[in-house]
Amino acid sequence: MRDAARLRPCKRPRWFRCLFFPIFHAGCSLLTVNSETMKSMSNMEPKTAMQSFWSRAGKARRWRAFAPLAVLIVLCILIAIANPNFIEPRNLIRVANSAAVPLTLAMGMTFIILLGSIDLSVEGAMSVAAMVLVLLATNDSNTNHYGWFAVIAAIAASTAMGLASGFLQTTLRIPSFMTTLGVWFIGLGFSVYMLGGSAVRLMDENIRALALSRFLGFPLAVWIALAAFAVAIVIQYHTRIGRHIMAIGGGEDVAELSGINLRRVRIMAFGLAGFFFGVAGVLAAAQLGQSNAVIADGRLFAAVTAVVVGGTALTGGEGGVLNTLVGVLIVTVLANGMILLGISPYIQQTVQGLMIIAAVALSLDRFNLKIVK
Amino acid sequence: MKNSFDFKSMLANAWVQGAIPPALLIVLVIIVEIGSPGFLTGETLALLLSNTAVLFILATGVTFVILIGGIDLSIQAVASLASVILAQLLPSMGLLAFPVAIAAGLVFGILSGVVHVWLRVPSFVATLATGGVVAGMALWLANGRAITIEEGGRASTSWINATIAGTPVVVLIAIGVGLASYLGLRYSRFGRQSLAVGAGEPAAYAAGINVDRTKIVAFALSGTLAAIAGVILAARLSSGSPSLANQLLLPAIAAVIVGGTAITGGLGGVGRTAVGALIISIVRIGMTFVGVNIFAENVVFGAVLIAAVAITIDRSKIAIIK
Repeated sequence: MRDAARLRPCKRPRWFRCLFFPIFHAGCSLLTVNSETMKSMSNMEPKTAMQSFWSRAGKARRWRAFAPLAVLIVLCILIAIANPNFIEPRNLIRVANSAAVPLTLAMGMTFIILLGSIDLSVEGAMSVAAMVLVLLATNDSNTNHYGWFAVIAAIAASTAMGLASGFLQTTLRIPSFMTTLGVWFIGLGFSVYMLGGSAVRLMDENIRALALSRFLGFPLAVWIALAAFAVAIVIQYHTRIGRHIMAIGGGEDVAELSGINLRRVRIMAFGLAGFFFGVAGVLAAAQLGQSNAVIADGRLFAAVTAVVVGGTALTGGEGGVLNTLVGVLIVTVLANGMILLGISPYIQQTVQGLMIIAAVALSLDRFNLKIVK
Repeated sequence: MKNSFDFKSMLANAWVQGAIPPALLIVLVIIVEIGSPGFLTGETLALLLSNTAVLFILATGVTFVILIGGIDLSIQAVASLASVILAQLLPSMGLLAFPVAIAAGLVFGILSGVVHVWLRVPSFVATLATGGVVAGMALWLANGRAITIEEGGRASTSWINATIAGTPVVVLIAIGVGLASYLGLRYSRFGRQSLAVGAGEPAAYAAGINVDRTKIVAFALSGTLAAIAGVILAARLSSGSPSLANQLLLPAIAAVIVGGTAITGGLGGVGRTAVGALIISIVRIGMTFVGVNIFAENVVFGAVLIAAVAITIDRSKIAIIK
């Protein structure tokens, strides 16, 4: 089977190979040395005699780790030159504020992509959280006023959705993108149904304060997003579940052989993602002051863009929440810059889509994969 | 325990062999007939079929991609873009707006295929990205609004809403698309090669099939058919909008899977998709009839999708389920 795959001719032009092969081989050796090649054996072609590339591999890896940061800095400089208003404190606060929800979302998405899976249910989970929050807190549609309990219930609802998608896909053994595609629409349909197809206003002053009141100049939502970021860092680097997620993403069979309970880690990771989506849903509802059918529109896209542009590999096991922070900032700064430069905001999704393609194209480890579905 | 497992594998086998979906369809039709005699005749039947037509054309496009083992999440965006282009160009170009809108679908289908094949991006991410590109362009072209097709433009779209010998033209178009796709899949080299690629990519390489080209053609077909569906939708609703087809992605994919085409590729076909699309349409009408809220329909379709994937998936083909 592997021989058959090897027969495949390389269709890329020569300049392409000259330019990228050193890095491409470096990528291979990197994986070999880290004994991460076990990642889906049938898909990967183990390379030998790659050791000589090791030093170059180190460089390539370091270069790649800092590439997103370099892009961010260059982007900021270019936009600041084109329109000096960009570096005004007021605008920077605006950037931070609009980064709060995507950052929280992308934290959850990072763990899923580190696993090598994908969670398409972002918009469903977020809209469920926003719906639960708005309907339980003081609002203009019913007489509930549970206050902070509503926040807890909202986050719990979306965490439960995450756990459910993890449970479904490990029990039924179906790919995550299919499960979460279904869960996405289940969540969205449910929340729109509960809202009755209209917008319900959030009138709890304490919860609205998350978006309106400020601490050290920044809205509270920014601080909450930063707290979510801190929690994600602790989970990734200092807890067992974080290390297990990395291990599974790096090579599922190896992880299983070393005694990791794949199923439990997977379910917990999706639950974790649901938790972050829930927090993001609460923040979005607080910022918007209401919940409606389209509160989460386009969020999936922004989250995936941020994670991928930050340098986390779609194959899993490489990257992390720090990368995602940079990715979120790139996406938000670019969106802000486009508004400052007077470019139609409608074209934003187009730019984000092109960014996903470019970022994935530049993460060259992909070329090891012989079969890509 | 053993028995229940046998039942499950029997169900899975019967489903992927293509026995269950037609039976399910017949049962549904019977239920509708009993619940409301005479419902499936004359005008209501014509309406049901016209509503199914758009869904079926979209689903046929995705069938090609699912058969090679991929997925296309950009169809709703491409369909919406086609509707916007049609609505924009009808006043100035008349009937010529149709080929332009459909060509846009072809171009973006090829783009998805190229991104997927050349850059080795998994198809769901590649099409998510191109879908975003397309959705952004549709928003930009339409300036974020729905564009109504005015009286002048309607002269060029009225033929789509007409009927020939009592059969709506939309249904005839769907039948034409279905027949062409069926024959193409069954008797053309591309059709056989795409089944081979879906059944086993390494074997297809070894047999000398140009896998990359086959995949790109499949995505191109998906984009083109999505655009055709978008154009028809725009003509029927007399408007084009950047979010016109957003609600159709899930039913279209569900139609393919429920019809018995395996998400792992290599097994299935257009005939099955036709059955699947009819099932989805009847279930939708049934839900409205029973009084299920229109917003809650998505919940049902999401659950149906997960269940159908779980039943039809060929697990022997994926070593690791991510």
